[in-house]
Amino acid sequence: MTTFEEIYNRYAPQIFRVCLGYTNDADQARDLVQETFISVWKGLPGFKGKSQISTWIFRIATNHCLRALEVSKRMPGAELPANLTEIYDEPQEDKLNFLYRCIAELEETDRIIISLELEGLPQTEIAAVVGLSNGNVRVKIHRIKEKLAQKIKSVWTD
Amino acid sequence: MDRLDDLKAIWHTANTDSLPTSDEMVMLISKFRNEKLRNKWLVIVASCLLSFLIISILFIVDFKMVITYIGGGLIAISGLLLAATNIRSLKRFYQLDYYSNQEFLLFIEQTLQNQIKYYKKTMVVIMAFCTVGVMLYPYEAVRQYPVLLICTYAALSIYLSFMWFFVRPRKFKKGVAKLNATRLRLENILNQFK
Repeated sequence: MTTFEEIYNRYAPQIFRVCLGYTNDADQARDLVQETFISVWKGLPGFKGKSQISTWIFRIATNHCLRALEVSKRMPGAELPANLTEIYDEPQEDKLNFLYRCIAELEETDRIIISLELEGLPQTEIAAVVGLSNGNVRVKIHRIKEKLAQKIKSVWTD
Repeated sequence: MDRLDDLKAIWHTANTDSLPTSDEMVMLISKFRNEKLRNKWLVIVASCLLSFLIISILFIVDFKMVITYIGGGLIAISGLLLAATNIRSLKRFYQLDYYSNQEFLLFIEQTLQNQIKYYKKTMVVIMAFCTVGVMLYPYEAVRQYPVLLICTYAALSIYLSFMWFFVRPRKFKKGVAKLNATRLRLENILNQFK
């Protein structure tokens, strides 16, 4: 049986990145990580292994992200900078911030799907987390990539 | 998009050092895990205690008038209804961990409808039971003392009027407006699944 500590050490960074992708706010993402692992702590003794443990944890995390719609307005998004070319050749950290800002402009479900995709989850697992068919997820990921590409294309060149 | 690997590389550069260690997280969990539900549990326990207290008094004390029993019974029923409503709403906190995002959103939609129904119907029923109960229950005790009778019923009337005509409409307006705003955002997200 995997211990809570092992699960936390393995998944906390992943959950944090996904929540950060959804919220574009580090403090809120940290709160969501905490909420997620409170649920994991409570649910772990009764976890029956009907799904992979990662699917279960990502479901909890993304549902906590979505639950925030009950208590706040739309998660803080971000406006793209007026002069996009300023991002070109910026340090890695700025590129990361720019990526988050691009993701923040997407719709809520698209933010979750692309965050899970960037985190490296297989598309079947993303489908299980979100509740869509594999085919549907594949199409959505393709469309989201196109949307992101449009935003980024004008900024990053080879 | 041929830059997905680049994006993944950038994505994984996010600094996660600010996250608590597993030991710190366990400490945080034991501190905060029940905080969210504490108020709900308090309402449940308090309303159950009140109901059982009233029922016990009705059984122990030999009241002469039927309206005292009716009044006490109505107060007890309103307390139990309040507890039952809160117990039902607790389910959402305990049964959601296996839901996919889509199932979760559909569940929230159902919960929102239940909450609107609560504001429109259940809350009125609970308050009506409690109001009638509170008006009937003390009559037997104060009827022989005219001044006390007048003072008691004047105070009860002011308090109940305040609850019915100020607190409830305000709570209703605020609650339903918030729920409707949430419902609109929810519909927007559910449409994204289509």
